[in-house]
Amino acid sequence: MWRLKKVCHKSSRPDNTEQLRLKRREQERALRQARRDKQLFSKRLLLSEDEEHSTEQHVTKIPIYSSLILIIYVSTQCTSGKCGPEKEASLKALSRALRDPSAQTKFIKLENSIHVLVGLLTGSNTECRLLAVRCLHELSHSPHSAVSLACLPASPYLLTYLSGQSTKFTELCLYTLGNLCPDNDAVKDKVLSQGIIPALTNCLETQMHNLALVEAIGFTLSQLLQEIQSKNLHTFLYYSQIISVYSSVKLFINLSTHFHCLLLAALPLIVCWVFFYLSHSIPGDCSVLLSHGALSKCSSLLVSIGGTVAEEKKDEGLELAVWPLLRCVGNLLSSCPVEHLSEQVDTRLLAALCALLNVYLKTQPALAREAAWVLNNLTAHSTDFCSALLTQNLVPDLIQLLPFSLGINTMILRVLANVAHQKKHFCDQLVRLGLLSALCATLKMADTEMVVLSLDVLNMLIDGNLQVAEEFVKQGGLLMIEALQYNHEGELRQRALYLLEHKLSPCVCLCCSFSCVSSLG
Amino acid sequence: MLQPHLAHLMTEENVLLKSSVDNCPTSSETEGKDENPFNFQPQVIHLPKDHELFEDGDVQRHMYLQNLYISAADEEPALRVSEFACHISGCTATFKTLQEYEHHYNSLHRHVCCTCRRSLPTARLLDIHIQEWHDSLFAVLAQKQDMYQCLVEGCGLKFRTIKDRKDHLIIIHKYPPDFRFDKIRRANRRALPSDTEMEVVTDVCESEGMCEVVCGTTSNQRDPDPSDMNVSEENTGHMETSASTAPDPTELTKPRYSYRVPPNVCFGQGSVRGFRGQRGKRK
Repeated sequence: MWRLKKVCHKSSRPDNTEQLRLKRREQERALRQARRDKQLFSKRLLLSEDEEHSTEQHVTKIPIYSSLILIIYVSTQCTSGKCGPEKEASLKALSRALRDPSAQTKFIKLENSIHVLVGLLTGSNTECRLLAVRCLHELSHSPHSAVSLACLPASPYLLTYLSGQSTKFTELCLYTLGNLCPDNDAVKDKVLSQGIIPALTNCLETQMHNLALVEAIGFTLSQLLQEIQSKNLHTFLYYSQIISVYSSVKLFINLSTHFHCLLLAALPLIVCWVFFYLSHSIPGDCSVLLSHGALSKCSSLLVSIGGTVAEEKKDEGLELAVWPLLRCVGNLLSSCPVEHLSEQVDTRLLAALCALLNVYLKTQPALAREAAWVLNNLTAHSTDFCSALLTQNLVPDLIQLLPFSLGINTMILRVLANVAHQKKHFCDQLVRLGLLSALCATLKMADTEMVVLSLDVLNMLIDGNLQVAEEFVKQGGLLMIEALQYNHEGELRQRALYLLEHKLSPCVCLCCSFSCVSSLG
Repeated sequence: MLQPHLAHLMTEENVLLKSSVDNCPTSSETEGKDENPFNFQPQVIHLPKDHELFEDGDVQRHMYLQNLYISAADEEPALRVSEFACHISGCTATFKTLQEYEHHYNSLHRHVCCTCRRSLPTARLLDIHIQEWHDSLFAVLAQKQDMYQCLVEGCGLKFRTIKDRKDHLIIIHKYPPDFRFDKIRRANRRALPSDTEMEVVTDVCESEGMCEVVCGTTSNQRDPDPSDMNVSEENTGHMETSASTAPDPTELTKPRYSYRVPPNVCFGQGSVRGFRGQRGKRK
């Protein structure tokens, strides 16, 4: 990712790592809390080129007093009609000054300030246009929602410029619009009725070759779509527009998978998030998206990524693209009827998911957990996928993952339970692959859900098959079941008792002789 | 002494099966005894966008948006391995590895006397304990012949009284006078707190009265019922008819079910008089 590389470059300075790490942790905590409060929005700030290359981390803050002077100067210059290098210099200084939140609030309170900027934005001096949009961009990054409201008069112009040809300018417009969207319903309403969605779609189609722009479009779209569903803003009105977005996004993805290795690495991950938000923005179930082939598109993307990852060609930051794809596939699967599953989804997806699980297990366990969730959804009702799991020899790897917590092992055990539930002879295969000894370990785990699932799986494996029961007893599992009879959880007691009475009772006598021998030994 | 141990196991099993068949009102597990409690169904799980499972991914995305994202290689791995927990009711020990769990289980829960819930380290000591403490026939025979066997394996000597054996252990086998596995049974169970054998393990697990392992100290202090249970057990062991006295009036106020077996019912010689533990006592 071109952008990600820049970030990494900055953060690799040795003297700053500890501070950076602390700052990261704090930010992470703040983000988690914001998510819980359903207030998780982010704004992006595009640094200008000279700032990006500067060695200084922080920008010198111009005191507010002098910024006010600048503002007044600029406005006087404007009205006098003189356009020259001084004006450009002052605009530049203004944009720097506007980085300070208090300067932002002061600025919007000045009479005509926005009007001046909009005037510059639409003026004949293109350099001033660029600087004016930069000022607006700084304003849009403000944490105060009043500031975003104040910027609204510029929105129709920003939208118009989206179909322009100047890429840097368009990029700034996009990010500005993206920053403005989440703050306020009024803002969102306005930009929606001004036709932001068709404008973005059009931009995407024309600028598909420019990755930076595609990423910016993805950002803006996802900011828009992230909130559409939860606030239920005229969703039906924009239904068809949303579908057209999807088609354009699909076009882009087609293009990128065509140039597989190169572009996959640079796949603007934000586009993938668009997918995810799309799947939530359409009310009701996702059958519309399904009919447009969303599931097959996302799953084939995952297959390609899985393939890349399995060959150890993992790129940094690729997981940011994997997350939304996993979520899309996971939720789309819940709307997809089982009969059509094999048409839409390649069975290679199973191998891809297992590869993702293994690769990201240690570095991003949450991602591994989501991959396990998708596996569960795939295998829940489909015999084909369950048998494919066995024939592709993916089960031993899954069994290896059973010791890991954070919800990974419960999901994986669910997957194995889905397989066992499908057919009797799948159970035999699972036993042959060593599931019984793994169950002897999982029965001892602290997590109640894990133990309940283990008992369920055990019940299915033993069902009617005395040999399996004997094998289980031989591995010393009976003692665990007996101990579980006295557990304080009712679910565990009931299951343990049932197993002892009905499934394991012929083996009880065997057990006596075994434990006698073992206790003497 | 294989036979009594085997017999003990057998009766244990019989008692297990029997008690599950009895319609004991307290045990909720017998309510659905014929119904299959297993209700696993494969299900497709749909997660809304705000689900907590998605929290980490969202946070990573926003870290990227705010230019705080760094490659995961710089961060310490966050993966956790599932913990193991002892499932014996009342024991709340947890472990990081399977080996620790197995060690705990084998040391504390394998050789447990089901009558008084003492945990003993070996099967032999368990046999001796059961014989000497809970076997009524033994008590009778001990009056006429040497029955108390030496605790050292291979020694084979038997003694008429406990004191003789203890002296033998101290003098001949150089055992300490306060050897933990040779406690004299006290008539009054309230003196249990002085039992160091129990103290050894109280730091490992807590009891709620049902702990198979000895947490007699804490359980006695908190819940007088188990000790009363045991008192009555002992009394039946001694074949005193006063064992059938009514339970302490204070306990009548609590809903409780008596697991005492009336003295005129006998499950066979050397058998355990009573049901294994207090299953119904749990909430």
